Amino acid sequence: MALPLPPGLTHSEVAFLAEMEMVTVVPRQRLESIDLLSGQTPPLRPPHRAQLPLWLALLLKKQRRANIVPPPWLHPASLADIIHRETKGAGFSAPPPPPARANPHEPGRARRFADDDVTLSPPFQPSCTANAPAGYLPYHWLEVAESLLTHAGDDMAAPVGEVRSLLRDLVEVRAAKMRDSISELQGLERGMMLLTGVGSIELAESRGFVLGVVDGVRKIGASTEATRRDKEEMGDERDDEGSDDDMGI
Amino acid sequence: MDIDDILREVDPVFHAVPQEKRDLQDLTRAWVAERCAPELLHWPADGLFERVNDNIKRQIEKVEEMTGDMDPKTNFALIVLQTELERFKYIVRSYLRARIAKIDRHTLHYLSTDELRSRLSEMELAYATRHQALLHNHYLSSFLSSFPPQMQNLNDAGGNSTMIDTPDLESAVFIRLLIDTVVEGRGVDADGEMNGKVDDIVILRWSDAKPLVDAGSAELV
Amino acid sequence: MPLYGDLGNKLVQHAKRTQNLIHLPPYQAELVRAVAREVRDLDRDLKSILEPFQGSFDPTADQATACTLLVNHLSMRRNKRCLLAYHRTRADKLEELVWSGADVLDLAGQQTAGGANGVMGANDGGASSLSPQEEDYVRQYGDLLAAYKGQWTDIDLTGSLEPPRDLFIDVRVLKDAGEIQTEYGAINLTRNSQFYVRQGDVERLISQGYLQKLG
Repeated sequence: MALPLPPGLTHSEVAFLAEMEMVTVVPRQRLESIDLLSGQTPPLRPPHRAQLPLWLALLLKKQRRANIVPPPWLHPASLADIIHRETKGAGFSAPPPPPARANPHEPGRARRFADDDVTLSPPFQPSCTANAPAGYLPYHWLEVAESLLTHAGDDMAAPVGEVRSLLRDLVEVRAAKMRDSISELQGLERGMMLLTGVGSIELAESRGFVLGVVDGVRKIGASTEATRRDKEEMGDERDDEGSDDDMGI
Repeated sequence: MDIDDILREVDPVFHAVPQEKRDLQDLTRAWVAERCAPELLHWPADGLFERVNDNIKRQIEKVEEMTGDMDPKTNFALIVLQTELERFKYIVRSYLRARIAKIDRHTLHYLSTDELRSRLSEMELAYATRHQALLHNHYLSSFLSSFPPQMQNLNDAGGNSTMIDTPDLESAVFIRLLIDTVVEGRGVDADGEMNGKVDDIVILRWSDAKPLVDAGSAELV
Repeated sequence: MPLYGDLGNKLVQHAKRTQNLIHLPPYQAELVRAVAREVRDLDRDLKSILEPFQGSFDPTADQATACTLLVNHLSMRRNKRCLLAYHRTRADKLEELVWSGADVLDLAGQQTAGGANGVMGANDGGASSLSPQEEDYVRQYGDLLAAYKGQWTDIDLTGSLEPPRDLFIDVRVLKDAGEIQTEYGAINLTRNSQFYVRQGDVERLISQGYLQKLG
C-alpha cells in the first residue's frame, strides 16, 4: 500500500505542522536573509526581534544563535488564568481572537488576518509570537509549549518546572472535558457536534475513538435513519398536496 | 486603513500575504485535507504542485551550487535551506502517497465517471488506468480467462450489489470553519442546523462537510 | 456432492490470514484451480438446465427451476468474488513490498526456507511463494511505479513517511576518524572536536563509535 497510515494526522505529523507556527526570536548573531521556498527570512540583527517559523527558531536556538521569546499565553499567570476558566466553564476555553489587523474601535467585529481571498488559519495565523494575546490557547498550544520547554527552557519567563506543572494541570482539565464530550457523542444524533477550542494534539489523540463511535452510531442507526427519511419525504409530499394528516387513516 | 490597504489601492495585484506563503499554506492544507478526507479530493487546478515541484528542483540546484567550496562550519544558510527542503519534500511525498493509496483502493470507482476522473492529475490518471489494466490482466491470467465469457468483466453489477468498492462518504470528519457560516448536518434521529462561527471545530459527516470545504468556508483538520 | 462455496470460503480465509501476515504465504494454486473449476461446472449446469427451453424460459411458470438457476448464478458470482478477493489481497501485499523497495522477485527466488524475508512461507520447501502470474505482476507494477516516481524525482516518492526531524545534529568526535566527505565537502574529524552535520552523513560513524550524538 502506498500509504500505510489511517485517515487523520498522526502525532508526529501534528508536531511537524506545529513547527510551522511563527515565533519571535531575539538573535544573538547577525544572519543575512535566506531565500527559502516559503519566502525570504528577515535579516537578523541583534538585538532586534524577528518572527520566524518554529522549526527555524529551534535550529537557531540549538546553535545558540538566537533566543526564543515565549508567547504571552505560555506565561504562568496566563496559564493559571486559563486553568481557572477551563475549570469553571463547560466547553474548551475559546481559541485566540483573530490577530493583527483587528479593528480596535470595534473589538467585537475583528477583521480576520486575511488577504482578499486567503484566509489564514493555524499554523499560519500568528498565535505563538510575542504579540499573541495572553489568556488564549492557540490550536497548536501543547506541541509549541512542549517544544519550547524542551529546547528553549532557559528562555522561559518562569522556571521550566513551574510551567510544566501548570501545563500538566491544563492537560488534565481538558482531557476530562474531552471525555465528557465523547460521552455526549450521541448528541451527534442531530448530525454535528462542536469541539471549538480543542487543540491539535487533543484532537489527534481522540480522533480514532471519536470517529469510531460516531460512525458506529450511524451504522447501527442506519435503518432507523432510512425509515425516518422515507417518512419525512412522504410527509413532505403530503404537505405539498395540502394533505389531510388528521384523517387518521 | 492600514498600510496594506493603501498598498492594495495603488497596486491591485499587491497581496498582504506573499505568494510563497500562500503556496505553503495551500500545500499544507491540501496535504492535511487529503490525509483526513475519506475520499480522494480534487488535484489543485491552479498548478500548485507543479509550481512547488519546480521550486523544489530549483532549490536543490541552488544547494548543490552553494555546496561546492564553502566552509562547512560556517555555512549555516545551507543547513537552513536543506532543512526546509526536506520539509517541503516530505509534505509533497506524503500528499502524493495519500492520494495514490486512495486511488489504489478504489481504482474502478475513481475511473467510473468523468467527475471522479477529473479529480486525478494527468499522471495519476495514467497510473490508475494502467494499474487497473495490470490487475485485470493479472486476474485474467490467474483464473478469469477460464471463466465463461460473460463472467470475465470486473464491474458486473446486479441484484443489490456491485463489485466496485466505493469509499464511505458518510464517515465522520473534523472541520474548522474559516468564516461564519450555517452548518447543516444529518443525524440518525434528527437533522440539525447551526450558525457556525469562525474557528469553530465541528464533527460531522463528510458528505455534510464537503460543500463547506469545497467552497473554502471550512478546512479539514 | 461437495457443498458449493466451501472452497471459495477457504480462499477468503486464506486472504484474511494473509492480510495480517508480514510475509506472503505460498500461492494456493490447487485451491484457485478448484474454485475456478466449480464456476465452469456451475455454468455448464446452468446451460444444460436452460437448454430444453430454447431461450423461452419463463421464470413465473417454473419457479423451482428459476430458483435453481438463481442459486447457481449467485454461487458463480460468489466464487468469482472469492477469487478476486484472494488475488487482490495478495496483489496488495506484493505492491506494498514493491513500494518498500524490496527486491520481491529476488526474495521469492531465494532457496532459503524459514520465512525470514518478506515473501517466503515458513514451510514452502524453498519454492517461490509467488505464482508465475504474480511474478509477472510484480515486474509490471514495479515498472509502473518507477514511471510514476520518475515524474517526481526530486521528491523521492518512496522515501520516509515520518516527518523529517533533526536533519542536522551536533556530534563530538570520540576517536580520530580522518577526513570524511559530506554533501558540503570534507570535514576533518579530530578527537574532541564538535561538528553540526547532516545525520545521514555520519550515521555509520556513530554506530562505529567514532562520533557521539549530542543533546
